[in-house]
Amino acid sequence: MAEVRLENVVKLYGKKRAVKGVSFTCKEGEFFSILGPTGAGKTTILKMIAGIEDITSGKIYFNGHVVNELPPQERNVSMAFESYNLYPHMSVYDNIAFPLRAPRWGLKLSPQEERKRVEEIANFLGIGDLLERLPQHLSGGQKQRVSLARALVRKAEVYLLDEPIAHLDARLKFSTQTLLKEFAHNYKSTIIYVTHDFREALALSDRMVVLRKGLIEQEGTPEDIYYRPASDFVGRLVGDPPMNLIDGEIITKDGKTFFKTGDFSIRVKDELVESMEKAKREENGRTLTRLGIRPEHIKLSRNKISDDSFQLPIYTIVHEAESSVVSFELEDTFLYVRTEGFCDYEESEKVWLEFDQNHMFFYKKTVEISK
Amino acid sequence: MSRVELKNVWKIYPRGNVIGVKDLTFTCEDKEFLAIVGPSGSGKSSTLRMLAGLEEITRGEILFDGKVVNDLDPAQRNVALAFESYALYHRLNVYENIAFPLRARGMKGAQVDKKVKEVAELLGLTSVLKKYPSSLPGGLQQRVSLARALVRKPNLTLLDEPISHADQRVRHELRARIRRLHDDLGLTTIYVTHDQAEAIALCDRLVVMYQAELQQIGTVEEIWNRPANRFVAYFIGEPAMNFIEGQVEDLQTVFIPTPGGKRSFKFKGEIDPKYVGAKITIGVRPQQISVYRNKKEENTIAGSVRIIEFQGDKTVLTVDLADENKTQAKAVVPAREKFNKGDTIWFHFAPEIIHLFDGDTPIIKR
Repeated sequence: MAEVRLENVVKLYGKKRAVKGVSFTCKEGEFFSILGPTGAGKTTILKMIAGIEDITSGKIYFNGHVVNELPPQERNVSMAFESYNLYPHMSVYDNIAFPLRAPRWGLKLSPQEERKRVEEIANFLGIGDLLERLPQHLSGGQKQRVSLARALVRKAEVYLLDEPIAHLDARLKFSTQTLLKEFAHNYKSTIIYVTHDFREALALSDRMVVLRKGLIEQEGTPEDIYYRPASDFVGRLVGDPPMNLIDGEIITKDGKTFFKTGDFSIRVKDELVESMEKAKREENGRTLTRLGIRPEHIKLSRNKISDDSFQLPIYTIVHEAESSVVSFELEDTFLYVRTEGFCDYEESEKVWLEFDQNHMFFYKKTVEISK
Repeated sequence: MSRVELKNVWKIYPRGNVIGVKDLTFTCEDKEFLAIVGPSGSGKSSTLRMLAGLEEITRGEILFDGKVVNDLDPAQRNVALAFESYALYHRLNVYENIAFPLRARGMKGAQVDKKVKEVAELLGLTSVLKKYPSSLPGGLQQRVSLARALVRKPNLTLLDEPISHADQRVRHELRARIRRLHDDLGLTTIYVTHDQAEAIALCDRLVVMYQAELQQIGTVEEIWNRPANRFVAYFIGEPAMNFIEGQVEDLQTVFIPTPGGKRSFKFKGEIDPKYVGAKITIGVRPQQISVYRNKKEENTIAGSVRIIEFQGDKTVLTVDLADENKTQAKAVVPAREKFNKGDTIWFHFAPEIIHLFDGDTPIIKR
């Protein structure tokens, strides 16, 4: 196991800056995720850690030693790619056993010992009955698990996993996610995990970074990222439905501060005014800001809740197991509210809403929110 | 907008004599939103294609408003079909894409204009009518595809996994728009998906299929609380229902054997007296379990926390139960409650959340 540290790492492809100066430390034994949308530079970072891509500038350290110049085989990393990369002419067994046979690691396992290791990881991932097949006879989900098994079969200093469960169907994805978490616990492995799916990142990680266009937008524990998103970008990337973002005007009247949109106006409690001021912007002579609040932090009722509550007509309601998502159509966006249990509101019915100001944030505008 | 009936519908593929759909009977009422859900190979796509008229019906009848449509082609059936892939005409702008099915039927001028603008308004496309599909993000292209499918007021709207690959934000918006559109236009909609969460979100009633056969049809609440068999119980809900081996003690009680003795559970509902003493499987949904840190006597079993998965607004615990089989079970708990690996906790199953199965068959009558 190793600690992996990136110091101001930059990657240029010609003039295109794919990674623009990224620093973070993944501690020994930590499950560390890189979350970001397509094109953020996630895979590039992983490839630089693996040694498959050169580093344009900056340094990568394993246990305090710079590895910039080390070729991949000297770094003792094990990697699973999103695109499987299985050897088509080899059976599933041989594909998984491949890293165990590489002379570089000098494992020299007996056939029995090798079989034990391969079967153990294959059974763990639920592909124990596929060992004699060829990759071409497998479904995408099965191939992905073979690729993952091959990455995990050998003890490595660092495991680098690139979207390793992205192509599994929902049910299998959740169960494999649980297995990965268990693997990480059991072997206290250092794992750097790349995903675009916030659920995987939240569920698996000890700590994580959110990557945006080659730069780190936020670093923290999954709780930090979920409960205290650093920007509108993070809020919108994480959550189901994601954080609501609403643009409105800051109005001050009789020493009180209000957040006003075309659809509603609420008084902002004093403790929040400072953060609101920091996030203000001027547009066409008006002072605007962006409010962020998660769908579960808005209360709904048929009756007026408080002086800070306001009324809106329901756009529609969709159900989930044991909860409902009620949507409202605002001037420039949709607002979603999650309620506990099945709710009996109706479309177009006017209901009262109240924002929980302890979970309300104000942001500078860095993403578009149009419908 | 029609009432759609399937009567003993079969699809047998001549190559290899494969049964795609087996004796399927159900009704989609006028203005109803049905979701057909099942894993791959369950027959849901064959059903969709037979409804659309894209595939022949081997045996049985499909009726629209009481009239058999078996021999009508897709156009005559007036069925709208929206696929996951948008299949838009990239050389036509958004307006012309939406107008296409109307013009194809000889509609002209002002009438076309009125209908296109009406549906564009409902789907929030008014501002992009002059643009070309390839210049729009995926979510908008999807909406154009939906608008084109819906513009000619079809008898039946068929949606084939139309939003399963959209990102989180777009997906919620599309879900809301599709549901609202269905209600505003008074459509009859059948939505085919492998994703049980998507199906639950949108439908009035759910049709669950497995291995070419209908397993259950009902409201989400009915299927959630009274699954017709063990497959349905397992398939609907994420995380899936937990199954724990137990035995019937008497007409109101079951027990789970543990190394420290029996743990008894009262359940709600009636069972046939013949089951007293029988070995059965207890089913409990992770979303309905209460988790305690201290021992409680009634309806509880101890466990040790094995894996903790934070999901934002909630946390999923995977627990090794203290039963003889050391069953791994899951529970969904509020995210504010903190647990650590190795914590001893107590699962409480309220009498009304307990399901009992003899093999695949539920045995409690409620």
